[in-house]
Amino acid sequence: MTPCAVTTGFFTLGKCGQMAVAGCPSCGRALCADHVTEGGLCPECAAANGRYGHPAAAAAYRRRAQRYRASQEYEDAGWYNLFDAFDRSAFDPNAGAQQDYLDDGNDALVDS
Amino acid sequence: MFWREQKAAIASFHPLHQALIEHRAFSATYPAAGWHQLITSLHRHAGLVTRGKWALPARTLDVLVPLLHEVCSDLGPDGTLAVLADLRGADAPGKELPSRDLPVRPPIRSVTETWTVDPWLRMRAELRDGSVLEIVVADRRRTRKIAKRNPRGKLKSKRKIKLVQTIKVRRKLPKGDAGRVPSTAPPRWIQVFVREGERRCVLAGAKLDRMPGTPQEQLDRILTVATEPFRWTSVEER
Repeated sequence: MTPCAVTTGFFTLGKCGQMAVAGCPSCGRALCADHVTEGGLCPECAAANGRYGHPAAAAAYRRRAQRYRASQEYEDAGWYNLFDAFDRSAFDPNAGAQQDYLDDGNDALVDS
Repeated sequence: MFWREQKAAIASFHPLHQALIEHRAFSATYPAAGWHQLITSLHRHAGLVTRGKWALPARTLDVLVPLLHEVCSDLGPDGTLAVLADLRGADAPGKELPSRDLPVRPPIRSVTETWTVDPWLRMRAELRDGSVLEIVVADRRRTRKIAKRNPRGKLKSKRKIKLVQTIKVRRKLPKGDAGRVPSTAPPRWIQVFVREGERRCVLAGAKLDRMPGTPQEQLDRILTVATEPFRWTSVEER
């Protein structure tokens, strides 16, 4: 039996664990009959797409929103994950060697 | 004219919903399914009842209902949630403590201080991990009435009000679980204590000098304090 992999709860997070009957077309997570939301998505993907009609999707949205707001109160290392790859790329070790910072040569339009 | 339809609608509501309309307060213990029935009934209110006298008290739909949702999602199959909600406001009878006169010197004639304590929410939940969660939210209001005589002999009086909210959360850890100290400290506005005993208790408390301005902020404050003891969950338990 493949168990449902949807996260449930708010304070004590856990997996649903019931028998899965489908998979989320977006993330591939196994879903039980109770956790198949609009479009066959899992609650997390439905909440990320702004579909809060299913109670589990609404709960996933509230939980994620609360974690996001509370993370600003804590010196939480996980807060770094809120930034995407574009934000983090500025802190890459070789970020200073971008083309903009290199010598343009004598025939460049603007001598930087 | 006689609100017959709305009276009939109220009669069809959940008993706790009716208590909220009539008494602005309720006290009950239910499993998660019972609370979901109440929430369903509360969401029908706006469409069926328009009379102002029968409106739901403040903090019902925007603070209490989301809290019920979150706590109910953690109840075990046999777990129950007890709620004592008193949404009558701080001016309800019985919430004002006896006044006392403060020592004064001229030109002040008198200063009378009165405290009002309004514990408007108490919750106790038996969670699915075996722990017990208790939440108490209270508004404390200090009113000082000051009378003084100005240089021209007129009697002047003014009133000063200070509002403080206290949020206290206690999580009794599961039997045989010692928990673990979290790797990072909580925010400075949250105080955490650990009480040893048969079952270890983690207490988190906050005193908010500035009252939350919006229902969302109020909910966030309560949930942030309430989640602090769960950072003490041992890794094995997760």
